[in-house]
Amino acid sequence: MKARHVWIVFKKEVKDIIRDKRTVITNIVIPMILIPLINILVGGGVEKLQRDIEENITITLSETSRTDEIKNLVENEIFKDKPNIRLVDTDNPIDAVRDADVRLVLDFDSDYKQKLTEEKPFVIKLMYDKSSTKSEAAVSIVSQAINEYNMRLVAQRLTQRNIDLEILEPARVEPVNVAKEGQGGNMVLMMTLPMIIAILVVVGGIPAATDLVAGEKERNTFEPLLTTKPDRASILMGKYLTVTLFSFVSIVAIGMGFVIGYIINPNSITMGTGEQLTGASIPPLALVLSILITVILGMMFAGIQIALSAYARSFKEAQTYLSFLIFAAMIPAYATMFTQPADIKVYVFLIPILNTISAFKMVLGGVIDYTSLLVALVSSIIYLAITLAITASMFNKEKVLFRS
Amino acid sequence: MLSVINLTKKFGDFTAVDNLNFKVERGEIFGLLGENGAGKTTTLRMLATMLKPTSGTAVMGKYDINNEPEKVRETIGILFGGESGLYDRLTAAENISYFAELNDMDRKSIKERIDFLAKSFGMEEYLNKRASKLSKGMKQKVAFARAIVHNPDIMLFDEPTSGLDVGAIRNVHDFILDCKKQGKTVVFSSHSMSEVEKLCDKVGIIHKGKLKDTGSIDELKRKYENDSLEEIFMRLVGDMNEG
Ligand SMILES: Nc1ncnc2c1ncn2[C@@H]1O[C@H](COP(=O)(O)OP(=O)(O)O)[C@@H](O)[C@H]1O
Ligand SMILES: [Mg+2]
Repeated sequence: MKARHVWIVFKKEVKDIIRDKRTVITNIVIPMILIPLINILVGGGVEKLQRDIEENITITLSETSRTDEIKNLVENEIFKDKPNIRLVDTDNPIDAVRDADVRLVLDFDSDYKQKLTEEKPFVIKLMYDKSSTKSEAAVSIVSQAINEYNMRLVAQRLTQRNIDLEILEPARVEPVNVAKEGQGGNMVLMMTLPMIIAILVVVGGIPAATDLVAGEKERNTFEPLLTTKPDRASILMGKYLTVTLFSFVSIVAIGMGFVIGYIINPNSITMGTGEQLTGASIPPLALVLSILITVILGMMFAGIQIALSAYARSFKEAQTYLSFLIFAAMIPAYATMFTQPADIKVYVFLIPILNTISAFKMVLGGVIDYTSLLVALVSSIIYLAITLAITASMFNKEKVLFRS
Repeated sequence: MLSVINLTKKFGDFTAVDNLNFKVERGEIFGLLGENGAGKTTTLRMLATMLKPTSGTAVMGKYDINNEPEKVRETIGILFGGESGLYDRLTAAENISYFAELNDMDRKSIKERIDFLAKSFGMEEYLNKRASKLSKGMKQKVAFARAIVHNPDIMLFDEPTSGLDVGAIRNVHDFILDCKKQGKTVVFSSHSMSEVEKLCDKVGIIHKGKLKDTGSIDELKRKYENDSLEEIFMRLVGDMNEG
């Protein structure tokens, strides 16, 4: 193998691929635009929905409850310090809920007043529309407000009887968060980012790999190429490096996408859930190890892709083989989407793709087990060596390379 | 200039090329004549170092295909198959210069060589156009230029006219004769008697991997007392089938 020859092949292949508009658009432009776009749209949507649910909750009274007394009770007692809950007048309360003009209808027992003075429970029916998210969400917000009113009333009643309020609370609950700083954060990123990274690394080199061997065979340029001076190893290496490069191009594009999204709207990065991206909580060593594991995964799959492309009888066949790799990446990625970093078993780090996903989950979740990361790193290197040996032998197998 | 010595290729148990021996002198055109599956492509692939012989060897110019495959590749140019493939997204010049670079030519000589080839093939107009934008005829010329950009001493053609129309076939024939004129040694394979008769100084008749006979066309005609290459061929191949 000669570095000069490898470089000539690599240079040409990169130039050739970059001139293919489709590849450039799918590998670079789309990830760069799509990620911030999705984040901002989804993020903006989530934020807005959150606001809509919590703010401006309109309620109305049922026809039988529409008295000045009840209006007064509702406005000045029950929801007196709840500016987000607003009582409005409507002609047809039930229709108004169904038409989403108001969120809830409150219906009071007709003898509520008597029960109130007798200190007996009375019922406030909350009539809502289950098919409306906002109406359904209003039930809990309004119930909460009524609860607070209940507590105020209870306190008042107990005080009148000279009973200590503490009687209401035999046991007090006090949750204490013992997570290290930064842990548990970045939930959305923890779920999506490792998945995206793994899929892109596995899939990114596919167009290049298909074109570089199977495509070359199909175009009848492979034989002239193999009869130029460089040995086969140099040609293979030049092509291999090109595929490896394109495995990571999309990741870099995605990274740039996140940066662009962050510049446009800092909240977009966690999709508007209000969680903060705590860069400081990511340990550099774990991050470096994870990136290393990802790079090795990419190199391994570049090898697999070249091998499959060489093995294929035609361009079409290569596309078919390589599209299976997409599933190979998607299935574990989606299967582990909701796995929490602390729940990942060590043996998972022995499995390609899953090891990368798991490593990034750890890093983003802040729960880092260096043994697992080392297991992933060492096993990845072994897999890479095996894959490259297979790829190289594939490239020297006459039966494979020249079958017609 | 080129000698093939006991050249044999087996794919598993199957012998595709069986103990081939022939010599081609400098500036000669040698035609390998045989039916489909006779072993022509396999032979030429071995000469081009794409396949390793199972046994036997060939000496290309000064170099042995087994011992110095890199030197052999520097010495040869190939044109395999009719439709010549180019890299569509590279320009004509880039297509040619890629192969020149791979053959370790320096920048200056690449430029001079491409200028020279562009002139002699009449490619100046479209040298900087992408290959995808070229007509079939233009592509063919670019492929010719690519094959000889490093000025090889030996040219290997494997059924270079298969699937081509009359005009394109003529261009290939002219190109082969041109190579001869420049003193290159040419080996080309074909299943067309008339093509071989028109171009070749010597022929080898290959059937089921075996070289049935070899010599100049006149020699063969005299030897078999027959004026038709086709009849000679059928006789040799027929003999083979009986045996
Ligand atoms: N890579 C290969 N693996 C197995 N058999 C092959 C391979 N290449 C060629 N053959 C077989 O060798 C024989 C000669 O093929 P080939 O040299 O292509 O003949 P020709 O070029 O004269 O048509 C055929 O029977 C073919 O099937
Ligand atoms: Mg053939």
